[in-house]
Amino acid sequence: MSGVVVTGWSALTSAGVGVDALAKRLALAEAGQVEKGHEIGDLYEEPMPAANGHFLPSFSPREHLGRKGTSTFDRATGLAVVCCQEALREAGVSLDDEVRPRIGVVLGTSLGSFKSTSDYTRETLVQDKPYLVNPMLFPNTVMNCAAGQVAIRFGLRGANTTIAGGTLGFLNVLRYAGNAIERGHVDVVVAGAVEEFTPHRAWATRLTGVADVVAAGEAAGMFVLAKENTPEWAGTRQRAGVLAVATAYGPGGGEAAETALAGCVHRVLAKAGIDAFEVSTVYTGEVEDGDEREFGPIARALGHRPDRVMVKRLFGECDAASGAVALGVLLAEDRDARPGGLSLLTARGADGAVGAAIVRRYADGGLDRG
Amino acid sequence: MARVVVTGVGPVSSIGIGIAAFAEALRTGRSGISPITSFDPAGFPHRNAGEVHTFDPAAHLRRVDPAEWGRSSQFAAGAARLALADARLDLTSVAPGRAHAIMGTTSGESAVAEALTAQIIEGGFAAQDPALLTQLPANRLANAVSEELGLSGESLTIATACSASNYAIGYAYDLLAGGEADVVFAGGADSVCRWAHAGFFRLGALAKDACTPFDKDRAGILTGEGGAVLTLETYDHARKRGATVYAELLGYGVNCDAIHPVTPDAPTVAECMRIAHRNSGVSPSDVDYICAHGTGTQVNDLVESKAVIEVFGERPPPISSIKSMLGHTMGAACGFGAIASTIAIDRGFLPPTVNWTTADPELGVDPVPNAARPATVRVVQNDGFAFGGNNAIVMLGAPE
Repeated sequence: MSGVVVTGWSALTSAGVGVDALAKRLALAEAGQVEKGHEIGDLYEEPMPAANGHFLPSFSPREHLGRKGTSTFDRATGLAVVCCQEALREAGVSLDDEVRPRIGVVLGTSLGSFKSTSDYTRETLVQDKPYLVNPMLFPNTVMNCAAGQVAIRFGLRGANTTIAGGTLGFLNVLRYAGNAIERGHVDVVVAGAVEEFTPHRAWATRLTGVADVVAAGEAAGMFVLAKENTPEWAGTRQRAGVLAVATAYGPGGGEAAETALAGCVHRVLAKAGIDAFEVSTVYTGEVEDGDEREFGPIARALGHRPDRVMVKRLFGECDAASGAVALGVLLAEDRDARPGGLSLLTARGADGAVGAAIVRRYADGGLDRG
Repeated sequence: MARVVVTGVGPVSSIGIGIAAFAEALRTGRSGISPITSFDPAGFPHRNAGEVHTFDPAAHLRRVDPAEWGRSSQFAAGAARLALADARLDLTSVAPGRAHAIMGTTSGESAVAEALTAQIIEGGFAAQDPALLTQLPANRLANAVSEELGLSGESLTIATACSASNYAIGYAYDLLAGGEADVVFAGGADSVCRWAHAGFFRLGALAKDACTPFDKDRAGILTGEGGAVLTLETYDHARKRGATVYAELLGYGVNCDAIHPVTPDAPTVAECMRIAHRNSGVSPSDVDYICAHGTGTQVNDLVESKAVIEVFGERPPPISSIKSMLGHTMGAACGFGAIASTIAIDRGFLPPTVNWTTADPELGVDPVPNAARPATVRVVQNDGFAFGGNNAIVMLGAPE
């Protein structure tokens, strides 16, 4: 894979809608501090496992998209569609019927909207007649609902792929999207990941033990990806280059997963033609300084200990979307504003799935292309 | 560009487990539809589905512990184990990281999701079993395959609904053709679930007793389940180890209607067929058989037939639906279609559309009604369409 460029992007995080909100939040953040998130208050009727969560307060898709077509959106779909709109706008993509078949959508998730699925199932269990469910909401129970609605909203007719990757979701998306572009299936991919904040995710995060330190969060991050020599309609600036992506699996987890993760690091460095010492920052999925399950094997593979950024400390456990938030932070942060800065994005899943991507951030505002 | 071949298939289905039983069922037009037992269907007016009753995970799985993995993951791992055995492949001979698992699904671990929902209703959110929550993420389907076979390559679950396993087979094709893999286990898995049964019923898309695709009086789908995995290899890898080659994977095409969440669009489906043909280097006149998406709803079969006639003209190749036997196995459906296509090429017959009684003059296609038909099959088009307007078509050919 020769890599792809990011011509524009956006992120919806607990900081708010868009790149500026994210950047502002980062500027305010104390280094290393673990944020508790917003007070949940009366966001949901159901009891929640914690008083705080990393969600977007008073998020309304309608406010950004209008009434038409949004009435059946679940939260994840709303986040994804709004984020895509912002990313296309930020990239300056000119949409017309000639280019629409050449634009794909690749979206990462853990299992779509568990709330939509579970609420639907609940109706079949509590109604007098089990089939008294709303047919209009049935598509929301399918994991590719958000990606389908993104395509419908903007008329994107290229490959439309939903990747269920959990923690690995966003790296899987980058890998898959890069392939789709490289193999010529599409010229441009709007690639990202989304997770919603609901009682279902908040409780799952709490009960499976990954949220001792951070609460559950929600986010969407969408990135307009293209080949370096893609026509101007895909956007005229390069914000970053995703130079190489590798994913792998270590059967049984444990040492096999560590070996597989180190293998991914070696592969992306080799593919990108980068010396390990040029990597200055690693964005990992850990939360605590003492936890090096991910960073340890990476540092050993690199032969040095670069800066480690743990985005979940600021934005919560966003599962598949955490990787997308990490790339957003990478692109928004002042610390990497120097041209040519090289970073690794990494992930390690609960089973044995691992992955790494190497990203070069271009100067503030991006390089002019061509 | 390396050539890509099918050297093994692993069906875990309601009409048979393993290639021998599955092929025999296709040839005899056996139905796998039966009264639902995986959930309590009381209160539903329609109570049939294509459930897999005879799969004993413990008998098939060597490394994956059924107690720790959901039903769909068990189907995935079981199908992969069968596909490996059918390919007679010694995985220790494959370089580490050169064998991958790519699985498609519609609803992932839907049975687990339903069990958790029952716990929420019963005792509130805090009463959910953490062990069940651990089984819930859909990426576990591909991971189950990687665990079961000890694969250290990419482990990817594609959740593009009912075209998902064609998406998976397509990505596998790219990995192999592009030189990034020697072997890929690709396909899909899903489980029958209460919410899909209810949802399709309320859409008016659920048949009562039998699924009757391409029939004038077709009444809709029946939900089904299972796991379908193909062993895909580069031609060189297969040849070097002396493998039996069933079929060649010629290529694939994907696109998106981008119009409606549920209703398919004939012109975009036709365009997907053209993309698949172009990417595979075949013309419509080369295609001997179309393994239909063929859900048996009024709309799907009409749209699919229209697209076929737009692309192939007034005398299109025979097009049959194995969903008439299996029900709609959702994310596994295209995988079963690819396996049926492989068997059609290898064993020289067209699987039938069973339950067929009345021609629909509006469709204008030959659905291979009721009885398998002997045929020399050189090129097959395996159709897959999904909610979200996601079309994916895989092309298979006879081995050279």
